[in-house]
Amino acid sequence: MKGWLRALPTSVARRQTHVPLAPAVFITGKGGVGKTTVAAGLALAAAEADGEAVYVEFGDGTSGRRVLRNRPSGLEHVVLDPSRAVAKAAAPVFGSPTLAKLALDNFAMRPVIRAAPAIRELGVLELARQVVKEHPGKRVVFDMPATGHSVAWLKVARQGRELTGRGPVHDLCARLEDELVSPGSASIVVVTLPERLVLWETLALCETVEKEVGLSVDRLVVNRVPQAPPENALSDALSLSRAPGTIGEAARQLAELLSIRDTVREQVMQALDETVHRYGEERGGDTGLTLLPLASKDPTAATAADWLRSEGAA
Amino acid sequence: MSHPEVIVCAGGGGVGKTTASAAFALSLARSGRRALIVSIDPARRLADAIGVDLGTQAREVFVESGSGRLYGLMPNPEDALRTFVEFLFEEEPEALERLLQNRLYQALEAAVPGIHEVATIMLTWRAIVEHDVDAVVIDTAPSRNAVDFISYPKRLAKLLGGRAVGWMAAIGKRARFASQEDKMGRVEQLLVRALGPVARDVAGLFAELALVRKRFILLNEHTSELLLRPETRYFLVASPTAAARDDVDYLIKKLRTLETTPQAIILNSAFAPERDWVHVLEAADETTPAIDEVLATLNEERETRRRATDRITRAFSRRHPSLLKFQLPFVETVEPQSIVHALAQHFDTSALLVS
Repeated sequence: MKGWLRALPTSVARRQTHVPLAPAVFITGKGGVGKTTVAAGLALAAAEADGEAVYVEFGDGTSGRRVLRNRPSGLEHVVLDPSRAVAKAAAPVFGSPTLAKLALDNFAMRPVIRAAPAIRELGVLELARQVVKEHPGKRVVFDMPATGHSVAWLKVARQGRELTGRGPVHDLCARLEDELVSPGSASIVVVTLPERLVLWETLALCETVEKEVGLSVDRLVVNRVPQAPPENALSDALSLSRAPGTIGEAARQLAELLSIRDTVREQVMQALDETVHRYGEERGGDTGLTLLPLASKDPTAATAADWLRSEGAA
Repeated sequence: MSHPEVIVCAGGGGVGKTTASAAFALSLARSGRRALIVSIDPARRLADAIGVDLGTQAREVFVESGSGRLYGLMPNPEDALRTFVEFLFEEEPEALERLLQNRLYQALEAAVPGIHEVATIMLTWRAIVEHDVDAVVIDTAPSRNAVDFISYPKRLAKLLGGRAVGWMAAIGKRARFASQEDKMGRVEQLLVRALGPVARDVAGLFAELALVRKRFILLNEHTSELLLRPETRYFLVASPTAAARDDVDYLIKKLRTLETTPQAIILNSAFAPERDWVHVLEAADETTPAIDEVLATLNEERETRRRATDRITRAFSRRHPSLLKFQLPFVETVEPQSIVHALAQHFDTSALLVS
């Protein structure tokens, strides 16, 4: 067992081997859990293993530029702009780019598209499908926006298909479901933190993804698992706290801090243990659980790739 | 009704935005205000942070001292939209029945992106009126899209105020008769063909909305005004990481397109508490190797944090020189509530408390 994972509960330690990832990998999870780090790590590991891979982000490109500063030439960085997605995806729906422009520029359609939910998401998903199609045989890793949005994005194809029944919008949704949001085409990687509340929320997210999107969660990455302090630190601090004067007082304060950290770590381990039980039972023990350590510095993509490889998750 | 003061807290995920927002609201309440804290983040963090079970109705939170009040609101994504439309269609029960049967509405209720934010902000308006609130702290969703909701009421008001509603509603009537396709305009034809059978549901939804249009527009204008008045203050919350720094830069740019400038950048977890006892133990001969290792780790953590804070502070002063910067400590405890209380004490004496 690795040094930083000293004293893991046995059920957590006995996690199963990982299933292989599909060509498209969607990295999801709530805000600030380290999705970008994991996405960049997976993309980098894939590029190093296969020679080529793609990291995709939605927005302005700062995430990729930050974490992939020294990326190898085989690792492509693609930035998708959600604000242009609708216009790009609309051509096949309306028959041609000209007709699409005519429809989208209509006085009534413009405010509808600006205000109506789900339309932009459908457009973005179509852009994602195109990126995968343009890179056959390559691993394409999507660094998705925070939870609520990304699940909704993945759901939008199925919802749209069921809602419309037939017609070009239906066909667009069906294509998205068949070519992108389907088990053989895409894997879901959920990133989370080792806190009780966050973990429960994550399990709910996994359930939503599996039931409502129809994709299986192939990796559950728990980021920032606190490292255990040296074995005797707390007992040493406690015995030293019996010393007279300022040293005893200082040792007492150290013991106090260490027991806070101990309690926090105990809670973490208990929550992880319960997660494995709750989650593992439903999935026949195959949890895809991957633990990454808490580091005092932001990990780079190279560090994340090393961690993921050593966990067998890359 | 006089307008309450509104403070919107935005920032990337994982920076402690909810905790900082709750602390600021608590501090406002302690200073005698009737404060409301609203979380758009559907995670349970706010409830956990203030130690009260929260939901779609505003609840009072006990504040230990002072004459103020604190209310919390954290709509569930599952019932936020339903609660909102019931409120919107209060005087149109038959239209409400039809709406609830509309397939497009039913799809929206199954948590379509963006809906939760809008419903929350509208429910905020209701809570303000009900509890005579004079200060509202809004904890936005932890994503870069979080500020989209600021312009959303305005976009909705524009949609509903314009001719689009009638036009969309009329499509439904015509779409029922395929023979009338030749009587439709070009774009109407395109839309009906693109949407297929659902065109009727789309039109139906707009027809029902047309009935409550006035109420909806009024509500939209109120919320829009709350969020975009010059008096509304925006705080950007960050922690000392490069990702949080990029998120702040992005959000400032985004706010600028809405002609809004944030008042302050709040840097959470900026510094570890001063620990004199570490030096005492470092100088002592009686420590064990295990203790020495812990002391070295503590020093390294502290140094790393200090360097990261210096770096982000320099970046912020260079890029956003006119913005107030406010630092909050890194608090290590077992109970989330004690973090909120510790942070509130920092706000109690700060200039941010007075608008």
